[in-house]
Amino acid sequence: MLEVRNLHKVYPNGTVALTDVSFRVDDGEFLVVIGLSGSGKSTLLRCLNRLIEPSQGQILWDGVDVTAASGAELRRIRRHIGMVFQQFNLVKRSSVLTNVLAGRLGFANPWLSLLGVWPPSDRAMALRALERVGIRDKAEARADALSGGQQQRVGIARALMQEPKLILADEPVASLDPVLSHSILQYLEQLNKEEKITVICSLHFLDLVHRYATRVIALKDGKVVFTGLPQEIDKARFKAIYGEDAVEVRAGMTA
Amino acid sequence: MDTLPALASLLLPGLGQFLSGRRGRGLSVFGVLALMLALVWWATAPAAGFAETTIAFKGDPNLWWWLIAPALVWAWNVWDAARPGGAPGWLPLLVAGGMFAIFGWQTAEISPSTLLQNGDRVMLIIRPMLQPDFLQVRAEEREGWVELLVPCPAEAPAAPSNTSDGIALELSAGCAAVGQELTVTGAGLRPDTAAEFIWQSPIGDFFPLRDPADPQQFRLVQPEADGSLQAAFSVPNAIPPGIDPNLPQEQRLYVRQSRPLGGWELSTNGRFVLQGIYETLSVALMSTALGTLLAIPISFLAARNLMGANPVTLAIYVAMRTLLNIVRSIESLIIAIIFVVIVGLGPFAGMLAVTVHTVAALAKLFSELIEGIDPGPIEAMRAVGGDWLQIIRYGVVPQIVPPFTAFTIYRLEINVRASTIVGLVGGGGIGFFLIQWINLSDFRAVSASFIAILVIVIFMDQFSAQIRKRLQ
Ligand SMILES: Nc1ncnc2c1ncn2[C@@H]1O[C@H](COP(=O)(O)OP(=O)(O)OP(=O)(O)O)[C@@H](O)[C@H]1O
Ligand SMILES: [Mg+2]
Repeated sequence: MLEVRNLHKVYPNGTVALTDVSFRVDDGEFLVVIGLSGSGKSTLLRCLNRLIEPSQGQILWDGVDVTAASGAELRRIRRHIGMVFQQFNLVKRSSVLTNVLAGRLGFANPWLSLLGVWPPSDRAMALRALERVGIRDKAEARADALSGGQQQRVGIARALMQEPKLILADEPVASLDPVLSHSILQYLEQLNKEEKITVICSLHFLDLVHRYATRVIALKDGKVVFTGLPQEIDKARFKAIYGEDAVEVRAGMTA
Repeated sequence: MDTLPALASLLLPGLGQFLSGRRGRGLSVFGVLALMLALVWWATAPAAGFAETTIAFKGDPNLWWWLIAPALVWAWNVWDAARPGGAPGWLPLLVAGGMFAIFGWQTAEISPSTLLQNGDRVMLIIRPMLQPDFLQVRAEEREGWVELLVPCPAEAPAAPSNTSDGIALELSAGCAAVGQELTVTGAGLRPDTAAEFIWQSPIGDFFPLRDPADPQQFRLVQPEADGSLQAAFSVPNAIPPGIDPNLPQEQRLYVRQSRPLGGWELSTNGRFVLQGIYETLSVALMSTALGTLLAIPISFLAARNLMGANPVTLAIYVAMRTLLNIVRSIESLIIAIIFVVIVGLGPFAGMLAVTVHTVAALAKLFSELIEGIDPGPIEAMRAVGGDWLQIIRYGVVPQIVPPFTAFTIYRLEINVRASTIVGLVGGGGIGFFLIQWINLSDFRAVSASFIAILVIVIFMDQFSAQIRKRLQ
């Protein structure tokens, strides 16, 4: 269980990105974070594993205070939290396999990992992860030789290497077309359902939210303006979240 | 018709334009006219301060008519100020440009006729260059010599004789004046090979004696069947300029036999070429290695994304960038001259110069690579729980090592050429030999070194292209 209490984030330049954000995520949830561009979704997700340092507030994960952790302890927490990014964040020049193996860094022998030496068990695990996202045959290819959808699958395979209990996905499908969006989200859904991995994912398109979310939290100008089930987002709530002039657009291709 | 600006421009060119708001035009009119007047003054003023210049009409006070050009521009400037829309700008440009062109032509001593008339000198260079002095026919050499004084001192020495390399030589006199006929008698020569006569000047230069019957040919004398030889020759003028010709000095006649053994071997100059190439490559390699090692830490200091965060580091960044730009703009040739002064002639000076240039160039390229690095993988490595070293190893290194290597290889290619060039000013290597051969007009050796340089440059070019293709 993840609990966020009174989280605030003010960037050094004075931008207030999060104001008093509090919510709870139970194990096994597929929580989707929605909100306009600039509402603070990325900031929130990155505060959860402290890629961004929160200014104030507390994050408790299974009773451990993430906000208080430092150095080695923070790294130990992070290695159990998988993260999937909008821009995939792969090393483009490296092979797919190397990218996936890097997901294991938090567990690896530090010296061997610096030499680029990986135990056979990790290699086997990486190949299994690639198998799982359907691109095992691309293991030796360079990451930038893959299509966007394939690169995001590498991103998921990398997160799988962490055997995560929680996956943070920051707009994982924003750079992909609708068909690919569904295939990526289905992988996340599968992990969520089959492995009981908690997923916290930010999304743009409401039809995707309806299709995949078990619960939704909406941000506006850094504040939580809605928490609830996806089907509770009616016209009035939609306007409250996205503003008066907003029109719903769909990713399309409901799977 | 604007009278006021016209009057202003009549008094001070450009003033009218300047006052009526066309500032750029006013300033350029003033500048161009000032330059034209200065040139005319310089050309017609008495030669005193410019005695050395070679400009043809320099110092002729009758050249006042050059003032016509600035006068035309001056008049145009008044017209331009008077006309509300301005006068056509190409008119003064044509006049001023024409004048500058004539002055430039004179100052640069451009003379097409010199180029055409001395065409025969081209052949003097080309012919030896067609026979590069790199390999020679393998031969067994024997050489004897005998020494005499030129010209004769008050007390003439006895007729000299000397045996070396098994060749015994004897002269008819121990001293002689330039042009005087002497006889040399030899024994112990190989009967089957003709002997060359070579003269050694008082300062140690060697040059072959010419055949009196055909001055185009070298003197060759065929020994008798018993290995003896007798020949007359006239004493050549081997006294170098600047040395008192009346001072008796030791000079030598060498009699050399060279018997072909079949096959080829490196000539003396060929050996120098190889040594020079080896030195040049070493200089290039060492300066690239050292330069890269130094450039890496400096490039981090010159990368904006790493240094832009606070004012202190930003100041270091600005200082580094400025320094790199300055150093890069200095030719490595100039840097080499400075190092030659500091550490003396030789490859070390060349290596230092090329290194300095390499550091400046690579540090800039490297820092730009660092600035262009994708932060995504770094973020991802932090997110999976990597420590600092792991983040660098997996998030940064794979992004920068291939392009760093590619640039370094490319730099090695450039440095091979740079190391050749710095040799010309004393930085060692093939360039050092080359400039000496050029000064000695030894165009066969020059040609051999040209070919050697060409070969390694082409090789490096291919090599670096191949490697860089793989690193892409
Ligand atoms: N490093 C930063 N420094 C200063 N301000 C920032 C920084 N990162 C984000 N912000 C600001 O914080 C606010 C929230 O940004 P954030 O990226 O979290 O929004 P988002 O909801 O993820 O938007 P998007 O949908 O465009 O990704 C925005 O106003 C943004 O401009
Ligand atoms: Mg975002």
